[in-house]
Amino acid sequence: MSYAIEATDLEKTFVKARSIRELLTQPFRRAERIDALRGVDLQVDEGEILSLLGPNGAGKTTLLKIFSCLVIPDHGRAIVGGRDTRQENAVKRTIGLVQSDERSFYWRLSARENLRFFARLYDVPIRETESRIEELLGRVELLHAADRPFSGYSSGMKQRVTIARALLHDPPILLMDEPTRSLDPAASLALRKFVRDELSRRDGKTILLATHDLREAEAISDRVAVLVRGRVRQIGTVSEVRRWGAREQLYRLEVDPVPDRIEGPFRALEDETDGGVRRLTVVLEEGARLDDLLRPLIGAGIRIRVCDRIEPDLEGAFSRILESETEEA
Amino acid sequence: MINNLLKLWAFIKRDFLSEVSYRLAFLMRVGGMFFSLLAFYFLTKMIDPNTRGLNGIPPFDWLLVGLSFQFYFSTALYSFSARVRNEQLLGTLEAMLVTPTPTSMVVFSSAAWDFVYGGIRVLLYMVFATLLFGVRLDVASPLSLLIGVVLTLLSSVGLGILSASFILYFKRGDPINFLLSGATTLLGTVFFPVELLPAWVQPFSKYLPITWSLRIVRGSLLQGRTMADLWTDLLVLALLTAFLLPVGLICSRFAIRRAKREGTLIQY
Repeated sequence: MSYAIEATDLEKTFVKARSIRELLTQPFRRAERIDALRGVDLQVDEGEILSLLGPNGAGKTTLLKIFSCLVIPDHGRAIVGGRDTRQENAVKRTIGLVQSDERSFYWRLSARENLRFFARLYDVPIRETESRIEELLGRVELLHAADRPFSGYSSGMKQRVTIARALLHDPPILLMDEPTRSLDPAASLALRKFVRDELSRRDGKTILLATHDLREAEAISDRVAVLVRGRVRQIGTVSEVRRWGAREQLYRLEVDPVPDRIEGPFRALEDETDGGVRRLTVVLEEGARLDDLLRPLIGAGIRIRVCDRIEPDLEGAFSRILESETEEA
Repeated sequence: MINNLLKLWAFIKRDFLSEVSYRLAFLMRVGGMFFSLLAFYFLTKMIDPNTRGLNGIPPFDWLLVGLSFQFYFSTALYSFSARVRNEQLLGTLEAMLVTPTPTSMVVFSSAAWDFVYGGIRVLLYMVFATLLFGVRLDVASPLSLLIGVVLTLLSSVGLGILSASFILYFKRGDPINFLLSGATTLLGTVFFPVELLPAWVQPFSKYLPITWSLRIVRGSLLQGRTMADLWTDLLVLALLTAFLLPVGLICSRFAIRRAKREGTLIQY
């Protein structure tokens, strides 16, 4: 099977820059090395949104830079759009990079002038350039401000120009590096909706998104990969990753009539009574099953109106993954 | 080829638009050129026209050509590295390097506007000098002048790209600029003839492309020399260019590859 993006055993080590003092006092000491990626295997299907989750320094940006041909790996292979990243030009035609750095434009020029410049670098045919820019500015809702200097744009507007630039040559793959980092909640929400509804569902783009915003990953991803210290620790759908390492089973119950006491192999986290209905959030004891919770209730003649399993959240899973990584280390 | 020219044009247009957006600074620079010429005009009044090495060229005319071409030469020397560094600082280098445009093309084209602006500046110097200061330009061989200018351009591009390679690799501390700007000012016959320097220093002047460029341009513009008179100077400049240009290109390729390996291509 061919993937839109594929990494096989990718490794990358950076040499830590030495201070002048170190160079003078210990000239023959070997420079310190930092392992940014330690054998990363990753596959992204066509049309999929995969979020790379990880703390700062996990290797997310390094991985995106390898896929963008900005960094050469020390070991392993990176295939993007069916081509090895060593075939730089062919790979670059298939990707659009959305950075979080809003400085990456010429601030004295307008959005339209900036896009015209980048359209040339992306080899957009001259005859199509203006219509393409017009279309993209319309899609990111910036037509009204297209001829104003970039310097006067808000962070949200700047980020939308970044997306328009990444789409100039209509690439099938988008690499996004923390695209909502500098945005306010409303702008973040709008951008996520645009990525999910427009770029993914409508255009069918493959999106690899690096983020440390768990809510963002949860809201838009088909799958998430958790990267810790240069290794993919977990990969799967959002609900698969949520459940990883979760030993506790949580349930939400609504029962009536209101019993005086409920006893069983569980602990109540929340317990409230409202209009003859008792609402409980319970966590089962280790080794207990749902049966062990329900049987005593039914036996006591209590009617169970609602019994929902509460999925563990991504934040909890993320913490557990980090903890297990720390223990291993 | 056409695609590359269109890209080059896009870079020139981008920088022109940025430049003219600072309207007052743009106008003041042109005004500044006139006043600096005026100052040099009166300064050269103090110089004896029979000074050794001037070869009968009036001191102001001699200095005018030296200054114009030194400006052009230093543009080439500085602009590649300065532009690369500027793009690194602006954060635009990464955005350009993820496009299918080759890195070498990005580095080369980034300085294109500076060359255009440098050319306009040389022309303006000549226009001011002939119209306002009575300099007589006597071009006996436009072809040798043209070849000389093109070779000057190419040799300085070689040095400029070499200098940009250091910036790509070391980020700061560019020894090429440091060494050449000093050597050009002292030994390049820009401000004074090399004959005025101690005898043991004079041979070093011959290793600088600008020395030969200025011999060709002064000969063509001010002394009415023909191709037959200038061919040895043209040959030496061509040889220096044939050495410097490939060295610059090879070094830039090496620097880009190395910076990509070390992940420092866009760091500053």
